[in-house]
Amino acid sequence: MTRYIINRLLWLIVVLFVVSLITFILMHLVPGGPWDKEKTLAPQVVEALNKKYGLDQPIIVQFGNYLGGILHGDLGVSYSFQDRNVTDIILQGLPKTATLGVVAFILAILIGIPFGMAAALKQNSWIDYLSVLFSTIFASIPGFVLGILLIIILSVELHWLPTGGWGSVQQIIMPAFALATLPAAFIARMTRASTLEVLRQDYVRTAQAMGLRQRVILTRHVLRNSLIPVVTVAGPELAALISGSFIIENLFSIPGIGRMFVNGVFARDYGLIMGSVLFYAFAVALINLVVDIMYAVIDPRIRFD
Amino acid sequence: MVKKILTIFFALVIITSLIVMPACSSAPSGPQNLTVNIAGEPSQIDPNRASWSTERTVIMQVFEGLLGFNQDLSLKTVGATDMPTVGNGGISADGKTYTFKLRPEVTWSDGVKVTAHNYEYSIKRLFDPDLAAEYTSFYFNIVGGQAYYEAISATTAAKAQLHDAVGVKALDDYTLEIKLINAQPTFLQLMALWPTYPIREDIVTQYGATWTEPPHYIGNGPFIMTEWVHSDHITMIKNPNYWGDKAKLDKLVLNMTTDANALFAAYQNNEVDISGVPAGTEKTVMADTTLSPQILRFAELTTFAFQFNVTTAPFDNKNLRKALNAGIDRDAFINNVRGGVGQPAYSWIPPGMPGYDANLGADYHFDVTKAKAFLTAAGYSDGSKVPELHLQYADTGINPTIAQFIQQQMKTNLNISVVIEPMERKAFTQAVNAEQYTWAWYGWGADYPDPEDWLPQLFGTGAGNNHTNYSSAAFDSLCAQAAVELDNAKRLDLYAQAQAMVVDDAPVLFMFYRERFVLVKPHVQGLKHTGMDGDVPGDMFFANVWIQN
Repeated sequence: MTRYIINRLLWLIVVLFVVSLITFILMHLVPGGPWDKEKTLAPQVVEALNKKYGLDQPIIVQFGNYLGGILHGDLGVSYSFQDRNVTDIILQGLPKTATLGVVAFILAILIGIPFGMAAALKQNSWIDYLSVLFSTIFASIPGFVLGILLIIILSVELHWLPTGGWGSVQQIIMPAFALATLPAAFIARMTRASTLEVLRQDYVRTAQAMGLRQRVILTRHVLRNSLIPVVTVAGPELAALISGSFIIENLFSIPGIGRMFVNGVFARDYGLIMGSVLFYAFAVALINLVVDIMYAVIDPRIRFD
Repeated sequence: MVKKILTIFFALVIITSLIVMPACSSAPSGPQNLTVNIAGEPSQIDPNRASWSTERTVIMQVFEGLLGFNQDLSLKTVGATDMPTVGNGGISADGKTYTFKLRPEVTWSDGVKVTAHNYEYSIKRLFDPDLAAEYTSFYFNIVGGQAYYEAISATTAAKAQLHDAVGVKALDDYTLEIKLINAQPTFLQLMALWPTYPIREDIVTQYGATWTEPPHYIGNGPFIMTEWVHSDHITMIKNPNYWGDKAKLDKLVLNMTTDANALFAAYQNNEVDISGVPAGTEKTVMADTTLSPQILRFAELTTFAFQFNVTTAPFDNKNLRKALNAGIDRDAFINNVRGGVGQPAYSWIPPGMPGYDANLGADYHFDVTKAKAFLTAAGYSDGSKVPELHLQYADTGINPTIAQFIQQQMKTNLNISVVIEPMERKAFTQAVNAEQYTWAWYGWGADYPDPEDWLPQLFGTGAGNNHTNYSSAAFDSLCAQAAVELDNAKRLDLYAQAQAMVVDDAPVLFMFYRERFVLVKPHVQGLKHTGMDGDVPGDMFFANVWIQN
């Protein structure tokens, strides 16, 4: 197990290098640079800006400098946020995005798993149909549409919740719910399918034949086994939620990293783009590793060595 | 009986006063807090470096310069005692040396006196190549400024020498002298803009790049920044040490909501006091009985147009450009696309500033017959003979609707086919700046209210913002004369001739002058808007605003 983890972490370095190389190339290939503004800057200004940010150097040197910086823990500076350090910007936005993501994830699990289980246990009953109906609706409504609906009903009409911003519990409710619905629907359908499959397994029938109580069968044998596919989808969902949603963060004015990353791309803020992409790659790889380890914890049959 | 009459009389007096009093009195009442919204996190709030309206909104509350603007955009003294003139010795006879006398009572928010040395430091810093400030090129007429800014690869010693050679000098604590290369009649306007606001050398030296974070962000304006939660909000309070009339507000909060629908919802939920409305909802808002009395509309110094790349066929044909100008129904555009907000433009300089001429562009009022006559003069017997026209635009906001409108107008009115080409915003800007486009949507807003910012900048041969490739020796010569003409009437006349020339040559399809359309809560009083406000209407004069609950 330890060897497996070390191996994976070593591969992570290779992955990060490739990701940074591809991002760097793509970033410089797309038309338009950071100094292309609606009011054209004087050529002297562009020259000074290029010099200031090292963009006057050959592209390969720029990439080398960037990698050198990373090795010293320096993700560079942002051009669109007053020369602030990219590391600082990410560290300021991350707790907000991560909190929102974790709340949304817990919400998705709390809605998804019970709904999916209930639907499977009472297959073809009204509970099942209701669950399928809800998960279809939740899976089809885009988060921002739901977000706008929530704002109109809960803020504009009823004045119950603030429309956006960050800092209080009330401000998390709507964006977390808008973010949670899609993964909740997904998890519900996944749980339903895998539970139905597990219920038909021989060992469940054996347990029933042995006269074990239904509750024991469900908690000890069914739930645990039916969760393996769910963990597979929940892992990437968690990674996606934690890395932030530009649309939801923008709609609810949340100063998270999802919004900053997209703004960075629009502004061709090379420092911010590189820093965010590397951070995302790192986060996703790490969460996937955790998910793989989780398999082994949930299912003793899975071994990595 | 008398008692009864008296009782009724007093009752009436009380009732009347209850009804009339709140409407009449306009004194501050209740908490004096104003919450507004800026369009996002400001990139720079360092006065030397700022260039964008979001940034200006922040800076204008915390700093002020030697000069400023009145509500009608005429100049006024702020940190200076007198407006320099040749008569009072503030401007030398050759127009190349300016001397400003400073008010000794002006202090920084920490109580330290504002001196001419603060201005000298700031203006010299503006030319520091390592700072790479974006607006510096406006000030290249200051002696030694351009040489210092361009010495980007020079040694530290050489840079220090060039820094000292910049023609800005504090003659004593309260006298500042600035030397220019050429006489420049608009120089005082430039001195009213944010890049020349004073800056504290001791603070910049001590805190480096973080000097713009509170509590180090020390200014001399009516407000003090106390909090900056990045990408979320900025909080300011009244500056108790402000030298002039102190702000009536106790607290000013600048939120940073970027989504127009979210901002509108926040306004309806009483979270902000001033808000725009999402594009396309203007008419709904006008029809809403609650919201319509809260609408504030005013003209802005911004003109929108479609620019032609006049060196590419078929836009190299002047009569074709004139035909397109006459063949478009601008009233329908404003009514259908802009929600009835804005004023049709038939020339370039907008109303509300020197140089606007309502009589220009008479040929471009919508008239299909006239347009077809221009088309014939251009050598096309019918619109279908005109090669397919390609229109580029940034695929954001309501630009797609604008492009579709012109496509439909050209087809219906002139039978000309237009292909519309949406582009990603930066890619579009780059294509326009590199003049690799044929026909593109764009707008121009005033940096300062003078034709100098509107004509040579955009239509002068090879000028930085001339992307139409328009080139006219006669136009260039008029602008060159105007640039150094110290007699203002003569100067404006030269620019009037230059503008008439541009309108006749039609390097752009003039479309409309922008109008601000915002909602203001009834409790916000004393808002003074101008045609050159930053992100928030009235932000040049927030110190005058009060809340009446």
